[in-house]
Amino acid sequence: MSSDTETDVASLGIPEDAMKRLAEMKPGQPGSLFTSDLSVNEFLLVREAGFRPLGLVLGSSIYHVGIQIGRWSKNMELDTLSQAMYHARELAMSRMEAEASALGADGIVGVRLDIEFKEFGNDLAEFIAVGTAVKADKEGNWKNNLGQPFTSDLSGQDFWTLVQAGYAPLGMVMGSCVYHIAHQGTLKAMGNVGKNVEIPTYTEALYDARELAMSRMQAEGEQLKAEGIVGVQLLSLAHKWGGHTTEFFAIGTAVRPLRADHQIAKPQLVLPLTD
Amino acid sequence: MTTEWNGQGLPPAAQARMERGRAGGPPASLFGISGQAALEACGFSVVGEVMGCIVEHIGFTGYGGCGWTPANYGGYGTPGMRGYGLGNQGNALGGSSMGSRIGVRSSSRGGNAAFAPYVDALYHGYDTAVLRMLLECRDLHGDGVVGVRLEQRHLGQDNREFIAVGTAVRSHGKTRPANLFSTTLPAHDVAKLLHGGWVPAAITIGISLSIRHDDWATIQQARTWAGNTEVSGFTELVHHVRQDARQQFARRTAAYGADGAIMSGMTLDIWDIEPGEGHRDHVAISFVEGTAIARFHRGAVAPTSSLLVLPMSDPPGTVSPGRKS
Repeated sequence: MSSDTETDVASLGIPEDAMKRLAEMKPGQPGSLFTSDLSVNEFLLVREAGFRPLGLVLGSSIYHVGIQIGRWSKNMELDTLSQAMYHARELAMSRMEAEASALGADGIVGVRLDIEFKEFGNDLAEFIAVGTAVKADKEGNWKNNLGQPFTSDLSGQDFWTLVQAGYAPLGMVMGSCVYHIAHQGTLKAMGNVGKNVEIPTYTEALYDARELAMSRMQAEGEQLKAEGIVGVQLLSLAHKWGGHTTEFFAIGTAVRPLRADHQIAKPQLVLPLTD
Repeated sequence: MTTEWNGQGLPPAAQARMERGRAGGPPASLFGISGQAALEACGFSVVGEVMGCIVEHIGFTGYGGCGWTPANYGGYGTPGMRGYGLGNQGNALGGSSMGSRIGVRSSSRGGNAAFAPYVDALYHGYDTAVLRMLLECRDLHGDGVVGVRLEQRHLGQDNREFIAVGTAVRSHGKTRPANLFSTTLPAHDVAKLLHGGWVPAAITIGISLSIRHDDWATIQQARTWAGNTEVSGFTELVHHVRQDARQQFARRTAAYGADGAIMSGMTLDIWDIEPGEGHRDHVAISFVEGTAIARFHRGAVAPTSSLLVLPMSDPPGTVSPGRKS
């Protein structure tokens, strides 16, 4: 067993070739190298899937989110706030995509889309999109039907599995809805004291808001002519608007088939001996 | 029992520990058993735990001004008082149409631009800590240091400690690297990189501090009743400071002769300062940290081939509490 591993490792040139490479290192030109915030596991899997990282790409926007107050006793979407969330995310995403296009990328993997409300100003938030631009080793058409590099918020592990299974990511699709949930009238609340009852207004509000977010995400998927959307997350983000105003946010990666069959090797069952 | 040390090479206490290590003392390792085994399987043995540290007094940060002078807007102010907000408020507001003159100033421009002396001091701190750690590694005849923890702490007043701690390893082969390698990546990750045909070269950092004057447009966009709008000045500032930090990170990676870098962190802080009456600037600092890596596999395709496995262990939190022993 040990001699097997040793010859195996030696055939890969470890550690001798590795040390030779370090012995021959000469200062290079900036621009010819890549940077990436993928983990080592993700980096190696993306390489194995046949993609070369070109560089870290990011886009950001510091955005002043306007003010809109919902009617106290009414379930309603706060469209000013929904629009703000859409617009600012769009700004961050498109700036990230522009950086990737400038690098000649086929796509962007491992995208993280974050919002951080800043301490120094009222209603100021930074919207940031970060990912790693990649190019396929083999020539091929990886761009989506809008001619842009694909984007995906899947991890390197999920990306590898997706490509193995014969699918390609098209783009991240999202739907947002900022919703104001009605307050209950005092009389109504008094009537429910000591009872176990459903509060239909609340239930309906949550249904409405989530359905709006999900259908908007689906509409974006249809625009990309996707076969499906994978890795969907449905989030309720309170941000800093108080208990009755919440952003419902759906995000996922739209995919298209690369080939007709989607066979994937049968996984090996393993029992890890770690904690 | 301390002696006066002139700051050259290693302090006497470290020197003594290295001598004990060279004389055949047992090597200490910060890896777990499995990490050590993973590296051993790649042909690297532990030679000892190594550390580098420096306490630095950063007493001068060098505010170089935001580049905004009332003189930009109509001849007030004197060159010697750049950026200290001498102009009156009306004058500053009147200058809004000349907003293009307001720009971002970065520490990388050198001199006193935007706290450049402060950023230089940070670089000096981190670089010296890593260098002293590598000196220990060299003394133990190691080839590089794996799993480095790189930290800075405030020690009160303007004193800061920069510290780098890691485990020195030596290759079983005959070739020695030109420069000792270092990485913040843990032993497992280094082993996986080696199997994938990549070798870590050096810990790399990029730091930038940038400053931008709050001009009229910025103040308007950030007002409570401004509605939905991007605050273009702040966006420009954070974009610029990250860009600058990334560029310095890339420049340093290239200077090692590496092929790429895996970033382990990128942070951003933004806050405001008031260098003068009615004059506000925003300052942002960005810090990028990672490991420069070099490729040694020659084929076009990656030499790894992962196997799909389905772990038979229960993910944490899925076993009902009653069944736990």
